[in-house]
Amino acid sequence: MMLEYFNNLISGIEAKQHLGKSSARSRFALELARLGRGLYSGDGTVAWCGILAPFDLLHAMGVTSCFVEFVGAMLASTGTVGPMMEQSEQLGYSTDGCSYHRAVYGAMAQGLMPEPDFLIGTSAVCSAGLASIENLACHYGKEMLTIHVPIDDSPAAVAHLADQFREMTHFVARQTGRPLDPVRLREVIGRTNRMRELTLEVYRLARQVPTPARRRDLVNFGIVSALFLGSPGGVEVVEAYCNEFAEKVAGEKPGLADERLRLLWVQNRIQFANPLEKLLEQEYGAAVVADELNDINWDPIDPEDPFTGMASRALSVSFCGPAEHRLQVLLRLARDYRVDGAINPCHWGCRQGTGARGLLERGLREAGVPTLNLEVDCVDPRSFSEGQLKTRLEAFMETLSRRKSSGLN
Amino acid sequence: MAFMGVDVGSLSCDAVLVDDTGKLMGWTVVPTGARNIESIKRARSEVLGRTGLLESEVEALIATGYGRDRVEGRLAAVTEITCHARGIQALLPGTELLVDIGGQDSKSMRLDGKGNVMEFAMNDKCAAGTGRFLEAMARALEVDVGELGDLDRGAGGNVTLSSMCTVFAESEVVSLIAAGAEVPEIVRGLHRAIANRTVALVKRVAPASSGLKIAMSGGVARNPGVVRALGEALDCNLSIPAEPDIVGALGAALIAMERAQRQ
Repeated sequence: MMLEYFNNLISGIEAKQHLGKSSARSRFALELARLGRGLYSGDGTVAWCGILAPFDLLHAMGVTSCFVEFVGAMLASTGTVGPMMEQSEQLGYSTDGCSYHRAVYGAMAQGLMPEPDFLIGTSAVCSAGLASIENLACHYGKEMLTIHVPIDDSPAAVAHLADQFREMTHFVARQTGRPLDPVRLREVIGRTNRMRELTLEVYRLARQVPTPARRRDLVNFGIVSALFLGSPGGVEVVEAYCNEFAEKVAGEKPGLADERLRLLWVQNRIQFANPLEKLLEQEYGAAVVADELNDINWDPIDPEDPFTGMASRALSVSFCGPAEHRLQVLLRLARDYRVDGAINPCHWGCRQGTGARGLLERGLREAGVPTLNLEVDCVDPRSFSEGQLKTRLEAFMETLSRRKSSGLN
Repeated sequence: MAFMGVDVGSLSCDAVLVDDTGKLMGWTVVPTGARNIESIKRARSEVLGRTGLLESEVEALIATGYGRDRVEGRLAAVTEITCHARGIQALLPGTELLVDIGGQDSKSMRLDGKGNVMEFAMNDKCAAGTGRFLEAMARALEVDVGELGDLDRGAGGNVTLSSMCTVFAESEVVSLIAAGAEVPEIVRGLHRAIANRTVALVKRVAPASSGLKIAMSGGVARNPGVVRALGEALDCNLSIPAEPDIVGALGAALIAMERAQRQ
């Protein structure tokens, strides 16, 4: 079923491309569908991973790899997550848990998860993710390696993580029978660095006032692009964004015709179809111009010392380390993107999403960035309260609009 | 010329008319019921009847409340947060912090003293501590919800409700009655539980609330027991407007007047 879905998606997007109807977002969707096909085709080596796994390193070793949360997001965005959530509840998983991972359990029980050859868990960014990888390893009877991600980014912490990535290559070689090829790794790192450079340019262009990005252009962009790191397709995706945004900026074609309010979205977006972002645009001229997860804060990877660079990169992710690190990332984004306010969905069941919300709200407020905390399950639409969310968002927009018109921003 | 505000809440639908100076001309509160289109019509018709005005004499209408998008002929829909802030400024000028507890929402608003919202916080998905919660508790106690407010007078405060979930709290109340607890003590426990939950909302927008001019609106402000408990919890005297239910609709009517006059 899933393979058919991805094959249809690929042929649909390719057909549109032949007709000249292609956008950067459709190029992104194509690459995502190709990844999905790779996972579900049964060909090649597949690894389920934690979010902070070095996907370019795995790519260099010929492994199709993906973080497990991808499944929850994909099922939610295609409107098929409901039965998976019910299944996970029947299995006894608490409805208080994160639905990204509950969706994985449901999909696993229904035989909708591709069987991995091995698994690589990461102790950050969340323990629920690690638990779901352990469950998958147990379910499929496959070996799992756990990467212990340090809580800070000190030189010792970076070295500790780099050592584990080096060890990981031996683990993968044992699983696949293919040792790491230094020549291929160098090629992959070249593409990773090219993607980094182009992505920085995409974000520079997205920061323009008004932003050239349309409503859904950059949704999940940063976190999913990590899966394409080091691949030729990944470079093409980011090039497409760069070209499209540069053209729009040069042609003065904003993503939203009447951009009046600029918003920062904390953590991840709501993954299922919902009317809220459209409402913000149409009624208040409010555009989500910045996402916490669309950020690059790492140096180019040194081909002579790749593991250190990959370790630094992993530790630069905003969710890594203490909440203060996250706050500093958010403050930088708020400043760079010149936002009027921030929205934190506080994804239901997510300790990162809810645990730090008070600290983030206070820190942003002190910097003059009003913040709205919601209570949203970003994956499970069964508990979506449209009316309640609409009132909170609209009241926030009214407050921001008044602040702006009073010159308080 | 007149300006109308209609607040379509989950429990009541309120309509207010003001003249072109913002003076209150008339108001009505009707139950929303299951069909809010009908209650909207009824509220509009009633307030016109009470003031002797015709629909054609209403120059502009602003709708608010959860059913705001269902009000026909509106100039705009504005959220109840903005409308309550505007309404309380007319009734109790200079209010700096407003607590509103309605049928299914409770909110706290930090105001600038001129009727504008600086920050707000609302209850999460759960409707504990709202009007619906009190209705359920009154049912469990077999008293009218309107009687709850004075039932706790003289209670010593030796009963604590451990659950704020409407379903569990209802069964806890039933258990307390069965265990022989006095009704005034149970009611006192309920009011304190609501107050404690509301304080959490207040502290989110005003960590240091002492010294602020604090008011309360919404139907639950008619319950003196909740007002007393909240005043004790916040260590302040809450100001309550004469008609706390119509603050949102009044704010909507005043916004209608201001917007129409600007156009």
